Formats: sequence, C-alpha cells, structure tokens
Amino acid sequence: MGTAVGAGAIRPRSTAASALRRNSAYLAGLSPAAILLTLFFIGPSMWALYTSFTNKALVGIDAARPRFVGLDNYQRLVSDPDFATVVLNSIVFVVGSAVIGQFVLGLLLALLLDHSERRRYRFGTVAYAAVLLAWVNPTVIAGFLWVAMYDFYYGSLNTGLGLFGLGPVDWLGRFPMLAVIIGNIWRGTAFTMLIFLGALKTIPSDIYEAARVDGANTWRRFWDHTLPSLRPIAALALLSITMSTFGTFILIQTLTNGGPGSQTEVIALYAFHEAFRSYEIGYGSTIAVVMLLLNVAFAIVYLRWSRARA
Amino acid sequence: MEQQKSPVLSRRAFLGAMAATGVVVACGTTPSTSPSGSAKPATLSGTVTVSYPDELGAKPKYVEKAAADLKAKYSGVDVKIDLQKISSDDYYTKLLLALSGGGDVPDVIHVGGDRIGELADAGYIEPLDKYVAQWEDWKNYPQAVKDGVSYQGKVWAVPYGLDMRWLYIRRDVMDKAGLGADWTPKNVDDILIAAKAVKDKNAAPIPYALYAGVGASTGTANHSFVPLVWAYGGDIIDKTSGKWIGDSPAVRKTLDYYQRAYSGGLTPKEILTTTKPWTSMREKEGNGQLALLFEGGWVYGGWQSANKTETEKNVHYVLHPTLSAGPSFTIGGPGTVWYVTAKSKNKDAAWAFIAQWNNKDTVAKLNIEDPHPVARSDSADVAEFKAQPYLVDSTKALEKARFIPTDANYGKVIDAIQKATGRVAAGEMSPVDAAKRYTDDLKQAIGADKVITQ
Repeated sequence: MGTAVGAGAIRPRSTAASALRRNSAYLAGLSPAAILLTLFFIGPSMWALYTSFTNKALVGIDAARPRFVGLDNYQRLVSDPDFATVVLNSIVFVVGSAVIGQFVLGLLLALLLDHSERRRYRFGTVAYAAVLLAWVNPTVIAGFLWVAMYDFYYGSLNTGLGLFGLGPVDWLGRFPMLAVIIGNIWRGTAFTMLIFLGALKTIPSDIYEAARVDGANTWRRFWDHTLPSLRPIAALALLSITMSTFGTFILIQTLTNGGPGSQTEVIALYAFHEAFRSYEIGYGSTIAVVMLLLNVAFAIVYLRWSRARA
Repeated sequence: MEQQKSPVLSRRAFLGAMAATGVVVACGTTPSTSPSGSAKPATLSGTVTVSYPDELGAKPKYVEKAAADLKAKYSGVDVKIDLQKISSDDYYTKLLLALSGGGDVPDVIHVGGDRIGELADAGYIEPLDKYVAQWEDWKNYPQAVKDGVSYQGKVWAVPYGLDMRWLYIRRDVMDKAGLGADWTPKNVDDILIAAKAVKDKNAAPIPYALYAGVGASTGTANHSFVPLVWAYGGDIIDKTSGKWIGDSPAVRKTLDYYQRAYSGGLTPKEILTTTKPWTSMREKEGNGQLALLFEGGWVYGGWQSANKTETEKNVHYVLHPTLSAGPSFTIGGPGTVWYVTAKSKNKDAAWAFIAQWNNKDTVAKLNIEDPHPVARSDSADVAEFKAQPYLVDSTKALEKARFIPTDANYGKVIDAIQKATGRVAAGEMSPVDAAKRYTDDLKQAIGADKVITQ
C-alpha cells in the first residue's frame, strides 16, 4: 500500500513525465514541422499583427520613425470605401472561380475520368493530361496565356470572332471579373479533380453492382452512394480551394492588375498594392490580418460542416 | 518652396558640422573617409557598390566606364556593379525593402529624382552639399536644375539627363483623318476633337492614349493628369503654402476630359487593365497604330533607332496645349539620378563615382543614346549633341517647362491620382464625385491639414 500512496502523491508529475516519454517519438517527429510552421507561418503572422498597429511605411517620415497607432489602421479600413468593394469582389471571385467553377467542374471531370477508367476508355488519359497541364503551369504563365486569349488587338478570342465577321470585344474592359474567373477556373480545376479522383477510387465497385442489382438508376447510384462517400473529402477540397483562391492575386495581377478602376481588385491584391505600391506596410498588414481572420472563419465553418455530415 | 527645419535635419546638420571640424574622425571606422579640410580626399579606398536598373541597355557601358575611370584614378578603390535588369518600379520596391531592412545596402543607388523627398524623409539618402560645394563642375548646372534636386534646403543628387514630355502626333494618321499632316491642337479640348476625327475616319486603330489608373504608374500623373490640370489653369500643389490641392475646378475639368476620352472610345480601356500599358502604347505610336500620345521625350529615341527616316517623317512633336492656346508648355523633371545611401560605409568613394559618371562627355553621349536634355549646360556644347535637332528642340523646350516641387508626399499624391483617374475612366464615378473622393483620398494619405480645396 505504501507504494500506492507514494505513487498517488507524485502521480501528476509522473503522468506528465511519462506522457512526455511515451510520446517522445511523436514529438520528435512533429518538431521539424512545428519549427518550420513557427518560423514561416506563426512568426510572420505575429509580425503582421504587430505591424498592423503601427504606421510603418517604406518611404517618408513614417519609414524613419514608425509609431504605434493603436487601432487607427483598423478604423481606417472600416471607413475605407474601397474596402467594401474589394471584399465584395473577393466574394464574387471566390464563389465564382472556387466554389462554383473549380469545385463543381473538378467533381464533374473526376466523375467522367473515373467512369472512363472503369470502362477503360483511352481518351480519358488525354483529357486527364490536358487538365493537369493547365495546373502545372506557373500562375504567371497561365496569366499570360489568358492575356493572349483576351487581348483586344491580337487575342485568340477576337481573332476567332473576326473569322465570322464578329467583334472585336473588349473582354478585359467589359467583362473583367468574368474573365479572371474563367482564367482561374482553367488554371485550378485540376487540383479538385485530383482529390475527387483519388476519393472515387476508394469506392469499391461492388457497392455499385449491388445497387444496380437493386434496380437503382445512374442518378440514384450517384446520389445514394457516390456523393455520401465523397462528403468528407469534399469539405477538405472546398476548404483548401477557398483559402487558396482567397489569397491568390498573381493571375488577376497579370490579367487586369485589379482594373479597370477597382472592378477586379480583390483583397489580396489590395493588400499587395497598399504595402508595395503605396509603400504603407502598416495598412497593408492590417488588410492581411483581416484576410487571415476571414480565412480562419472559413476553416471553422467548413470543418464543422464536414464533421456534422461525416 | 518653404524650407522647414525638422529635428532630424538639424541633428544631421549638426553631425555634418561635427564631421567637418574633424571631431567625428576620432571615432570613425575607415581612415580613408576623412572629409575634413582639403577640397578632395587625397586618397580613397575600399569597395563601392553601385546598384541600378536598366531595361533599355544604354547605361551599362557608361557605368562600366565610370567604374574603370574611378579605379584608374584611385588604385585602392574597387567598384562592384549590381545591374538589375528589371523595370524601375520593381527595382524601387526591391530597393526600399533593402533600405528599410537591417542588412547591407548599396553605396550608390539609381532612382527617379521625383523620389527625393520621400527618400530623404525616410533617412535613406545622404545630402551631398559638402561634396558639391567642393566640386568644380557644379557651376555648370543651371540653378533650376539644382533646385530640382534640392529638398529642405539641401542637395541630394546630381542629375544628368532631364525629363520633359511631348505631345506626339502621327502626321500620316492626321492626314488620313482629314485634319492635314501638320495639324496641331488649338487648345486642350482640340486633342479630343482630333481623336474623334481619327476614330470616325478609322484612320488608326487607337485615336488617343491617355494614361489612367494604377498600371500606368507615374505616367498617369506626369504624362496625363498633371499637365491637364495645368492646362485647365489649376495646379496640384499650392506653392505658397506647400499644401496639396484636392477638388478644384481644374481637377473637375481634367476628370471630365478623362470621361470624354474613355466613354467616347477614344482611349482604349486596356490601359486600365495592363500592368505597363506604356510599352504597347509607345510601340503603337511608333508604328502608326496610335494617333496621339503625350509621353516622355526619351521615347522618341526608341522610334528613331528603330526607323529614323520614318520617325522623322511621320512623328510630329509639340508642347502641351492649354485651355485657350495651342502648344504652350511641358512638364519637366530631374530624371533618374544617382544617390549616396545614408547607410553607405564609403560615402566619399560613392560620391567620387557619382562625380566621375557625371562628366561632360558621358552626360552628352548617354543623352544622345537615351534622348534627354542634358543637365549640365557645357554638355549641350558637345558637337555630337548639337548635331541632333531633336535634342536641341527638347533642350529648348525646357524653357517652357513647369516642374513639380520635390515633396515627400508626391508618391502618395500619385496613388490618389491613379485612383481618381481609374474610377472615371472605368465609368465607376462621375468626374464630380471622383474629384470629391480625390480630396478624401489625399486627406487620408497625407493628413487633412496638408490638403486644401479650391
């Protein structure tokens, strides 16, 4: 019994120590990732948060002597009439190109490719390669490819229209948001397609055969079997494309540079312009912090959604 | 401009005085950098890093020559050249990040002279007064040129080629449009009337390029908005109070001019969606696809070297018109200049490089290749320079030039100008509303006490 009393007296410490010992292999395995995350993610985020409370600039007197300005930058952001436009543009861009475009199109492409693989159609491989090609291009190259497509004078679209005696249409001037959304869908659909294709492969064929024997038609088989199996992975795919689309601006910068006016200026591009074109690092950081908070909000919503349904 | 003494500058002046009397030398690190006494340090040593951007390709050989000459003059000096083959905008951003960070910075940098105020206020650059005071060649620079590189009563750079702009007119297109090859505008609105004629007669794919928005960078201000405000009888800054002017009758008229140019399809909207619209606009003016363009004087050189006869025959250049008169004025600037960085550990040698570069001969020859009026008047006497009628015209045009005063806030004002013109050109706002927002944007960016309306 004496041992038991002794053990009880030192239990909390012993448990913590033994937990540490028991998990030491995991902790050692995790630490490189933890160190890298701290260095390249948490560190810069904390720096951005700190900078957002200052008037730090790259030029002028504020560059020489940055001051702590409290919530001034946040107040300015709330009353900045451009910011509302920029947030709205971001929502349209994310919903259009990520949620509707990449997600739905990626799912459709994955279903078609999975179908063609199960049926051993050779054409599927070609389609697969074509979609992947768009994705492996660096974003700047993808941007220039679409410039070559949309250009008013030399663009392929207007040259094509010209063959039928139509046009020319000022695509980027008249439909700027639609133009960048299409470019981004083209560029990013492969990612969701790959994720869904992987998930589809995990659905055993016998489920479909059983359903077929039960007399379920294609639509029922899709609705009752395919979709529920994809749900957890769908949340993950939606989360990652939403976040990456929300933070992207290179394609837009190459295509329209946020213009005309501010019609395609999304929040990430706005942060970039404020920080590195107007050289207001403090204000740019404030926009970046707000972006980070919005991304965290997205993550919470999606993860809850996927847990509730999984 | 009014000279204000800020605490930073008086402290710097104090340090300068200390250095001049030799007090600082006692704790100096490099014995070669003693600026005391004699007209020129007897000897220089150490490495000078010279950083500059160049896309055109004209400058490198002159930089190398200056480096070689400097090394020949001082055996202890080594020059490290850091050529950045990127646009000057990208170079500037990259440079600012280096200057604001804690690491080593180049000794000599190459940036537009219109940035003097914001660079000096940030403490990135070194005043050159003590050097130019002892530099014999400084007497060859006209007072207006010296004023162009002065800020808060100090000289910060030495210019070599000055900026000026022309309204370029394609004679062949004007002829086709029925206006006659020798057409020149009778007043500022006449430009839009001519552009309309070009459009109606389909004489060129693009009638007129008027820069607006972010993509056109400083061109939106210097090549479009500012000369228009001047043409309509206004100004962007009140020279007596030093305050920037927001909404004013001239600003509203200018924005209305933008609306007429863009909504009438006279200017292409691609200017609003391209990152560097001037690249294609300059090219199109050169090959006759664009009829009217107000652009830098240096652009002419590009067309000339591509096709001299064709350019001289078809590209007509005139001054900017005003509300009531034809070609009247241009907008001048100090051009791209060399600065000594405040963090430089070898300032005397850095200055020696700048002085070497700005010799009479290099200034004349480089400005023939990359056509700008020369900053030092004796270079204009070099025979090769005098033999270029275009350069003689450009230099003469400087007599009619108006300058934007060096002010630390001009960069921020340019941002506000880009937004205002972009909003009107894209059809998002009326000229009147955009002018009001221009005031708000200026107040937000530089402080309500530094902005007035008229």
